[in-house]
Amino acid sequence: MKMIRAFIRPEKEQAVVLALEGAGFPSLTKMPVFGRGKQKGLQVGPVHYDELPKTLIMTVVDNEDVDKVLSIVQDKARTGFIGDGKIFISPVEASYTVRTGEEGL
Amino acid sequence: MKEIMAIIRRDKLPETKQALEELGYPSMTIQSVDGRGKQKGAMCAEMDSEMPDSFCAAVKLTPTPSSYALEHTLPKIALYVPKRMLTIVVPDDVVSKVVKSMIRVNQTGKHGDGKIFVLPVDGAVRVRTGEHDGEAIA
Repeated sequence: MKMIRAFIRPEKEQAVVLALEGAGFPSLTKMPVFGRGKQKGLQVGPVHYDELPKTLIMTVVDNEDVDKVLSIVQDKARTGFIGDGKIFISPVEASYTVRTGEEGL
Repeated sequence: MKEIMAIIRRDKLPETKQALEELGYPSMTIQSVDGRGKQKGAMCAEMDSEMPDSFCAAVKLTPTPSSYALEHTLPKIALYVPKRMLTIVVPDDVVSKVVKSMIRVNQTGKHGDGKIFVLPVDGAVRVRTGEHDGEAIA
């Protein structure tokens, strides 16, 4: 299993979520976050925004589905301008469903 | 070291904290998150008893609750269920003990009890003293 954490533009969240749902990955957790990237924020004339609002979408999927999810998120969250966000993938050793107490997604 | 990430009901947080304290692992990070599972957030009326019944009918429609909500500009509450995300880092040998007690405390048998994930952690540092790894989380 892999955990996929995607930092995307807040306005692209709905498109990403609906696309994932359509592809059969409805489960996710999201939270609003603030951050900056390589460009150290955003410079608009004399105003400098250091931390920009993003949405963090966190989902855990089986190993073979990782590429599929990645391509969906990339496709839907992309605008081509800086600030589109990053996707991180990390290993998950086990997952449990609390309702049943069973191991597995 | 392993990181245990649990996404649980909001109202179960005090009990979970109590249970973890009894095990001797009181340190944790708590985040307020929105999420949904296999039911696509459709069971929120059932899951959160304080939610009005009127949500139930609206979100049980096809094709999916989310696209229905989009078309009918339903409030976003129909898509996501508010949850608490709890993150704790524990030594390898107590992972199953902690997970078991978390499941015991949080289990209600209804949809929306949440998920628990176990992730590997490569290192830890206590900022105050600069201690590393095992000592940092002891």
